[in-house]
Amino acid sequence: MTDDDRDHTDHDLRPTPLSVLVTGVHRRLGPEFVTRLLERDDVARVLAADQGPCPVALHGLDPTRFSYVPADLRKRRAVDNLFLAEFVREDPIDTVVHLAFQGNPLGYDLKGHEFNIHATRHLLDASLRHRVGKFIFLSSDAVYKLGPRTDYRVREDAELNLDPKAHPILRDTLDAEFLCRAKMDSATCEVMVLRPSGVFGGGVISGINLLFESDPPLLPVGFDPMINPTNKDRLVCDLLLAAFLHGKGVYNVAGPRVGPISEFLAERRIPLRRVPGPLLRPLNKLQRALGKTRYHAGFNPGRLYYSLVLDDSRFTAAFRRKAARVFPDPNAPCRAVLADVPLGTQETS
Amino acid sequence: MPEALLHVPEDLGRRLAARILPASERVRLSAYALQDAGLGTDAFGTRKEALAAAYALGYLLHRYYFRVRSTGHDAIPTRGAAVLAGNHSGVLPFDAMMVATDVFRNTWPPRLVRYMVDYFVYRVPYLGVFFRGVGQVPGTRANFDGLVREGHVVGVFPEGAAALGKPAHRRYELYPFSHGHVELAARHGVPVVPFGLVGAEEQQHMIANLAPLAKLLRLPYVPVTTTFPWLGPLGLLPKPVRYFIEYGAPITIDRAVLSSVRVREREVERVRTAVRDLIRRGLAARDAAAQGRS
Repeated sequence: MTDDDRDHTDHDLRPTPLSVLVTGVHRRLGPEFVTRLLERDDVARVLAADQGPCPVALHGLDPTRFSYVPADLRKRRAVDNLFLAEFVREDPIDTVVHLAFQGNPLGYDLKGHEFNIHATRHLLDASLRHRVGKFIFLSSDAVYKLGPRTDYRVREDAELNLDPKAHPILRDTLDAEFLCRAKMDSATCEVMVLRPSGVFGGGVISGINLLFESDPPLLPVGFDPMINPTNKDRLVCDLLLAAFLHGKGVYNVAGPRVGPISEFLAERRIPLRRVPGPLLRPLNKLQRALGKTRYHAGFNPGRLYYSLVLDDSRFTAAFRRKAARVFPDPNAPCRAVLADVPLGTQETS
Repeated sequence: MPEALLHVPEDLGRRLAARILPASERVRLSAYALQDAGLGTDAFGTRKEALAAAYALGYLLHRYYFRVRSTGHDAIPTRGAAVLAGNHSGVLPFDAMMVATDVFRNTWPPRLVRYMVDYFVYRVPYLGVFFRGVGQVPGTRANFDGLVREGHVVGVFPEGAAALGKPAHRRYELYPFSHGHVELAARHGVPVVPFGLVGAEEQQHMIANLAPLAKLLRLPYVPVTTTFPWLGPLGLLPKPVRYFIEYGAPITIDRAVLSSVRVREREVERVRTAVRDLIRRGLAARDAAAQGRS
């Protein structure tokens, strides 16, 4: 390794050990991410916060390095208390990963809206006040405007869905994103927004995953959009890269393979049913009433008609290509998960 | 609804190709390298089975129906990106299909022309999936950039979709050219290969455009021709006129188009003039053929 490379390496990696606050651990992704963090020696402490009791998946973790705090993130004081907790007094929180977002279109109400917006605002403000070095918000690919003009690969600067008639959760996502983007010029805190494509994984609340878990998945006649979904493991690895490496801004994160939705279904041997477009939403409603699906066809109506393939080349260039720095062990699970990504030249030297 | 209606089944494309195409054309088809993005399509959604079926049909039309005669294939680069720009006409875009087939038949390794297609196509069930399957993409800047970056031949009709509905009295008259292709070609430093196509203007006679109905259906036009709608959908079939396609020398676009509107207009006019000259050559070739001189 040359001197230039060494300087570059030092410049890319954030100082460790990290002390991480993870919100929204009731999401399927949360426990997976927390577990991966605690497997690492360069993570001092992980504080998890969400509403309600500690998820079962997080029981039995090392109490000297992990703690769960039930917190109402809508309240500014509750959020502030997380940063002042006894558990993180010696190792103050330097990284916040904000996964807490009410994304289920069923049961959405004013509380959901307050939770989505206020939690983001309070967490962000507290992060800036408490000199947190990195704030990561997990957004969604639903923020992009969909239609026949959608590009074959959607970049981060593509048109957003600012339609006032869009589903309130989608508008919340955009509002939360804008809150983050307003603070991206902070000199002390690197604010990042990650927009993942559909996420596969048992029980994950992602449109594409809920569709695939339907019995049967309904698609409109005559349409077969292209997608590049990611999965839970890959997204966790991407989050780890985002937490350990320097960088800020808005990034797409997606899976390595692109193809029509029907091919992804066929690959998993999931039989689909085609219905005429105008009947799609009523039949989806009926399916939901019968407990055959949790997918909400009205949430992002264009999703089953028009392709949405995220271009995550920026994230790959800025983060995935440096995976060997974050995961130096060639047998690390994330190295296998990101095997499709060619490492940068300095990684292999 | 059977899934077979949505995708050209693998064996159908292969069967059609085996039945219709001679061995040399099947070799050509198998020589086309599709960059698989993971699930049997490339990043644009092109499927080899759909291509096989479309090429088999295109071959039939090219050889036996429109009996295409073409010259100047050397102008099409054998590798790397290029922009193919020419005239558009004929109510239904058989001209685009014949140019794509012609390029595929006359280049080695075979090159697939990727057209910048009007958005409305992708709103129509089946049609959008079919167009995507044969490698045609919605006409956006990012799509153009992506195609050029990946080294494809991009086909454009700078007159726009409206030129398809050209009335009979404006036959072989070029509509004003849009500027996008010139600007994008300059930005990427790729040549513009002009072509002139003769024959498509006679395949249908447009009498009127039902503009209100077109607006209602969100289509660029709804034609009334001498045969449509009187003969039903069959009335949209083109007459079996012979096509003449002339490709011109590649035009290198002045990079100053990126900073000067005047230069851009000049460069667009260069392309337009080249296409006009090629149409004249095509018309002369057709006259010569009619008089038995070729």
